[in-house]
Amino acid sequence: MSFINDRVFGLLMFILAVAYGWGALQFPEPFGGAEAVGPKTFPLILSVILALTSAYLVIKPDQDLSWPLNRSGIDILIAIAILIIYTMLLEPLGFILATTMMVTSLSRLLKAPVKNAFFTGLIGSVVIFVLFNYGLELTLPHGLLELR
Amino acid sequence: MDTLNYLIDGFGVALTPMNLSLALMGAFMGTLIGALPGLGPANGVAILIPLAFSLGMPADSALILLTSVYAGAMYGGRISSILLNIPGDEPAMMTCLDGYPMATKGRASDALAISAIASFMGGLIGTIGLILLAPILAKFALTFGPAEYFALFVLAFATLGGITGKNPIKTILAATLGIMISTVGIDISTGTQRYTFGVLELYEGIDFILAIVGLFAISELLIFLEEHATSGRKMIKVGKLSLTLKELLWILPTTLRGSILGFISGVLPGAGASLGSFISYTLEKQVTGKKGDFGNGDSRGVAAPEAGNNAASSGALVPMLTLGVPGSGTTAVLLAMLISMNITPGPLMFTQNADVVWGVIAALLIGNFILLLLNIPLVGVFVRLLSVPQMYLMPSVMMVAFVGIYSISHSTFDLYFMIVFGIAGYIFRKIEIPLVPIILGMLLGPEMEKNLGHAMILSDGQWSILWQSGLCKILWAIAMLGLLLPYLVGPIFRKRIRAAVAEN
Repeated sequence: MSFINDRVFGLLMFILAVAYGWGALQFPEPFGGAEAVGPKTFPLILSVILALTSAYLVIKPDQDLSWPLNRSGIDILIAIAILIIYTMLLEPLGFILATTMMVTSLSRLLKAPVKNAFFTGLIGSVVIFVLFNYGLELTLPHGLLELR
Repeated sequence: MDTLNYLIDGFGVALTPMNLSLALMGAFMGTLIGALPGLGPANGVAILIPLAFSLGMPADSALILLTSVYAGAMYGGRISSILLNIPGDEPAMMTCLDGYPMATKGRASDALAISAIASFMGGLIGTIGLILLAPILAKFALTFGPAEYFALFVLAFATLGGITGKNPIKTILAATLGIMISTVGIDISTGTQRYTFGVLELYEGIDFILAIVGLFAISELLIFLEEHATSGRKMIKVGKLSLTLKELLWILPTTLRGSILGFISGVLPGAGASLGSFISYTLEKQVTGKKGDFGNGDSRGVAAPEAGNNAASSGALVPMLTLGVPGSGTTAVLLAMLISMNITPGPLMFTQNADVVWGVIAALLIGNFILLLLNIPLVGVFVRLLSVPQMYLMPSVMMVAFVGIYSISHSTFDLYFMIVFGIAGYIFRKIEIPLVPIILGMLLGPEMEKNLGHAMILSDGQWSILWQSGLCKILWAIAMLGLLLPYLVGPIFRKRIRAAVAEN
């Protein structure tokens, strides 16, 4: 039983609240002079509320849920990496290749057999690609598979 | 009489071939989304928004598609409750209590049929309630000034956690974070750049659609990886239908009671569909007393919660359509749809966009009939699709999410942003920070600031205008109540729900 999650989160949010409020004070005065409610009024209110609620969390935290520090924690990191790599490769490789790779590797991560994982990715991406590019005329990137 | 005329016009909108086929498609997809555990209604509607948006659908069609999905998801949730004893979505939890025992006794198909009919009745009564109540509330809401609106938004946030919510402080924190995200970009009234850090992509602010998809869909994948749900679950075989007309008539009063209670709890802020089905179930148990066989497969125990949650889902549309203040995650997502279609929700929508509003309401009525037709003869199809393993489903959902966001702006910048929101969503869920207030904050933040500004101009900078009128005082009082009640009665409700589930 520990309360560290809420404390750390509360502290981070408190820092955010201060930074956000300080940022609001730096806004230049709007043209035509200040009115009752300028661009900084609302942000300042928000930063006070965030500061109060996050301070409350530090003082009275809830009980923690445990973080996955085992195998599934690594799986989560791998999944995030897959999604980031997918985004990087989407335009250079083209939609079909990149998506097939993404779906295959994510399905593998969820313990699907290689062959099924691959065909799910391939069929899924080809169907979506054809539907989008020819049916709906929204262009997804062709990438390496560009037909000239 | 006005209402009737509008409704007839609405049918004119909803019955065009395009909108009718969209309603059919939405109902089918919705049922599927509701039935699959781990893909809730908010989630399902969220990943469809970018698609509807990038397809350039007109507002009425897009909204008809998404409300059909919404209504369908409420129908679908019961299928996995009954067959797998796992609720497909949260409001379907109470259906497990009697649905699953009924199925184990070999009456699975009866339970499915009863719950479909109860859902239909609930949805129908809820929609009729919506038709009667919404115009009145919209007319009343026209008397709201900016100060009243500001108080109303506060009320919406305060009651969002719901009576069963855990820590109201975390709800406020989440809402504040959401509103803060909405302040990024160029200030509408003065043109001041706020929190853009000179990044061009941030000038227009952060698109809430990608935040919604990231927070819901991607964090769902990460949570799923953590829990690594077992792939093989025992599913009960669906046998022959042995339901008699007599039994149906016997259940009718239960269904009616459940529908009315559900509708009321759907309209009220802070109650929602889950509470609707819970109240319907427990009340039914008390009304019928010891005569019933609740918890062991009483068919009334299947009908009551299903009627309740479907009526509540229509009821929840009342505040969303009339005041622009959604009461649940899914209606918040529907609101996001409206805002991105450039329709300002609220009372004026009933006059300015009457065709959209009444088209959607007519589509809800039609959708309920479609759903009944889909869910009785075609239930076998859904049952078969239910066995699609998550290991293929989850990656495919990711694919749809990425395609949807990419096709809006054709920039990978948005995709990275979506991943960041996904990771943040996962962390928030682990710290038990609710996600819906964040979304709602992003949606309502700009409106809130605008109304605050207007109120201040009207009062010449006197802050007291925010609580001066009688209506404001009432709204603030309800908001306070909404924050305090979870502390006072929340533990009791939670304990009861848990006890009811444990009893099973």
